[in-house]
Amino acid sequence: MSRFPYGHAALSILIVAVVTGGWLAAHPVRRSTATLTFWTFAKTHYDTYKEAVPSFEAAHPGVKVDVQLVSGTAVTSRLQAAFWADLDVPDLVEVEISSAGSFFRGPLEHVGFVDLTDRIHRSGLWDGMVQARFAPYTSRGRIFGLPHDVHPVMLAYRRDIFEKEGVDVDAIETWDDFIRIGRRMTRLTDPGRRYMIELPDADASRLEMLLFQRGGGYFDPDGQCTFDNEIGIETMKWYVPLVVGPNRIGSDLGGGQIFTKAVEDGYILCMVAPDWRTKSFEMDVPRMSGRMALMPLPAVRKGERRTSTWGGTMIGITKHCTKPDLAWEFALHLYLDKKELAERFRGTNIIPALRAAWDQPAFREPRAYWSDQPIGSLFAALAPEVPFQYTSPFISTAKGKLSEALVACVQYYRNNGDQGFDAFVRRQMRQSADELRRLIARNPF
Amino acid sequence: MRLDWFRLQHRAAPYLFVSPFLILFGAFGLWPIVKSMILSLYVTSGPKDQVYVGLANFRFLFSDADFHIAVWNTAVFAFWSVFVQLPLALALALLLSQRWLRGREWFRLAFFSPNLLGQVFVAVLFSVLFVPQYGLLNTVLHSVTAWLHAAMPWMPVVALDTKWLANPALVMPALVLTSLWMYVGFNMIYFLAALQAVDRDLYEAATVDGANAWQQFKAVTLPGIRPVAVFVLITSTIGSFQLFELPYIMLGNGPGPNKAGLTIVMYLYQTGFVSGDLGYASAVGWTLALGLLVVSLIQMRITGVLRRGAE
Repeated sequence: MSRFPYGHAALSILIVAVVTGGWLAAHPVRRSTATLTFWTFAKTHYDTYKEAVPSFEAAHPGVKVDVQLVSGTAVTSRLQAAFWADLDVPDLVEVEISSAGSFFRGPLEHVGFVDLTDRIHRSGLWDGMVQARFAPYTSRGRIFGLPHDVHPVMLAYRRDIFEKEGVDVDAIETWDDFIRIGRRMTRLTDPGRRYMIELPDADASRLEMLLFQRGGGYFDPDGQCTFDNEIGIETMKWYVPLVVGPNRIGSDLGGGQIFTKAVEDGYILCMVAPDWRTKSFEMDVPRMSGRMALMPLPAVRKGERRTSTWGGTMIGITKHCTKPDLAWEFALHLYLDKKELAERFRGTNIIPALRAAWDQPAFREPRAYWSDQPIGSLFAALAPEVPFQYTSPFISTAKGKLSEALVACVQYYRNNGDQGFDAFVRRQMRQSADELRRLIARNPF
Repeated sequence: MRLDWFRLQHRAAPYLFVSPFLILFGAFGLWPIVKSMILSLYVTSGPKDQVYVGLANFRFLFSDADFHIAVWNTAVFAFWSVFVQLPLALALALLLSQRWLRGREWFRLAFFSPNLLGQVFVAVLFSVLFVPQYGLLNTVLHSVTAWLHAAMPWMPVVALDTKWLANPALVMPALVLTSLWMYVGFNMIYFLAALQAVDRDLYEAATVDGANAWQQFKAVTLPGIRPVAVFVLITSTIGSFQLFELPYIMLGNGPGPNKAGLTIVMYLYQTGFVSGDLGYASAVGWTLALGLLVVSLIQMRITGVLRRGAE
């Protein structure tokens, strides 16, 4: 050791480098032996898919499916990076609706997902599933994902408080009815202690849902920005006074434990509830079991649509998949097996996009948490009415722009009330949409 | 023969030892820098689809409202970080260097310890503290201001449902507060080290000359800690301009209401890795780098570092 010419420190570094490098070389990461690798981002999905894998493997001897739970943010960023860099990607992946559009940027031949359009039409799924649910996974007329769900929206409400105050929810048919009762309920307590409905004044998550209910949206089928059209403007003008000003009936505190407390305290009485969120209520606000119930979304006008949609998931086959036919079969196994879907509904409360599954007994079972309502039947009855929502690679930016417009309109209304509000909303919506259009115009692909 | 081998070995050895760094820096530092410079001249959809646009990306920056918001937010954050954080850190360092203070080692550890936590952890922690209606901050502020209001009716009461992270006007104060909690103690350590290096004889001489505490601070302490202060000033400014994790986590993986928490790096991330335009994101990155260079040079000129260097 004394003969090493560069000193003890250098020798130590060399030894550590050789030993650690040698160890790593001797213990390479084991390559997956699975025939198909499948990423999903939702724990509830993951749990139910794990149960569905053995039957698929039994029907396909020699096939092994590796289901991996990957966080939603990681799915988006890792998958995007992997597509770009031609790195190892899973054979199948579930993508959340709000990020799906970002994968469809660029020429169609460079989209990382297999074009499923022909398979969907050939297999009869186009007619067998709720067609509106293909829209968010479609780009330039080609479908890149199979919809996992419908996510119709109802209103969850504190049944115990409504009954105590003598509110008849069956009499609530339109938003006008709802707002009238909401103002009375909100004024029953000291100001700031109770609100009729959970509606945020700074993000457009509920506004967009209400925009969809009216038949509006961010984009048309050709990917052109449309949220500043007359439907969008009317929705904004209607929404803002609900969350700010003397007649407000909406507030929002955020999620997690705070949401639990707000519901338990009766701070908010009604919550927008797509099917998936009813499971979140059951898990996050368990003490309200038997005190909650669901009602259809009030219609804009009598006789019109009594639902909307919020959230969604698609399954896609990546172009890296070497066995796309087998991957397609696995996707169908997960999304079309009626018994599996019924069992999954019990675990997740999610209405599948496959219409034929809705007549399974599981969907008619009363649920104690929801005051013994058969929530499956309630959601399924609304599912065919779910509106279309078209997407674009610029969907994230569009959501941000609508939120910006909302915040600006809320500020204006807080300061000026109705005076000049119509003109301001029109100007602001146009400005936000034009900013988005300028970005879209830069896209040469 | 043996002598030649020995000479060769001695000549090659330094290069051999620095080669791991050079290879890694070349692959993961220099090449991405060069590549991003090239990319900034293209509109891209990932690395596969590129269209050459020359300087159009940089021109578009001038009219991009979102980029302007990001620059403004980042500059406001940097301003408050530098002009509140650094004086506070210096004040703490001055206080905790006083020999009469009991348990000062414990206080130093306590003030420094927030920096031992990761930014993500701190962001999650403060997200909970800032919660409306039930959060600790609102509860305390509401109680205190209600108590003061009783004595002084003109004093406004902080509402329990004040939405720190959902009100565009309050997002930046929330971010600044969080960063103060995290970084004041960190910068205090630099100032403490600098204060300990100031020659004690100078204070004694100043005392003999009749200088009061403020005069001693101005004439002895500040010049004594100037090199460290300039270093802290520049690194804090650069750090502030690189702000990303705090707002990203606190505002739910986004820029917050009305983009009040959108920073330049967050915009770069969204443009490059959400929208997929790596070219425009590269243009944003280069603009940030050049902006930081200019700001740092201005700071160095104002603080006299360049002049002293020239001497």
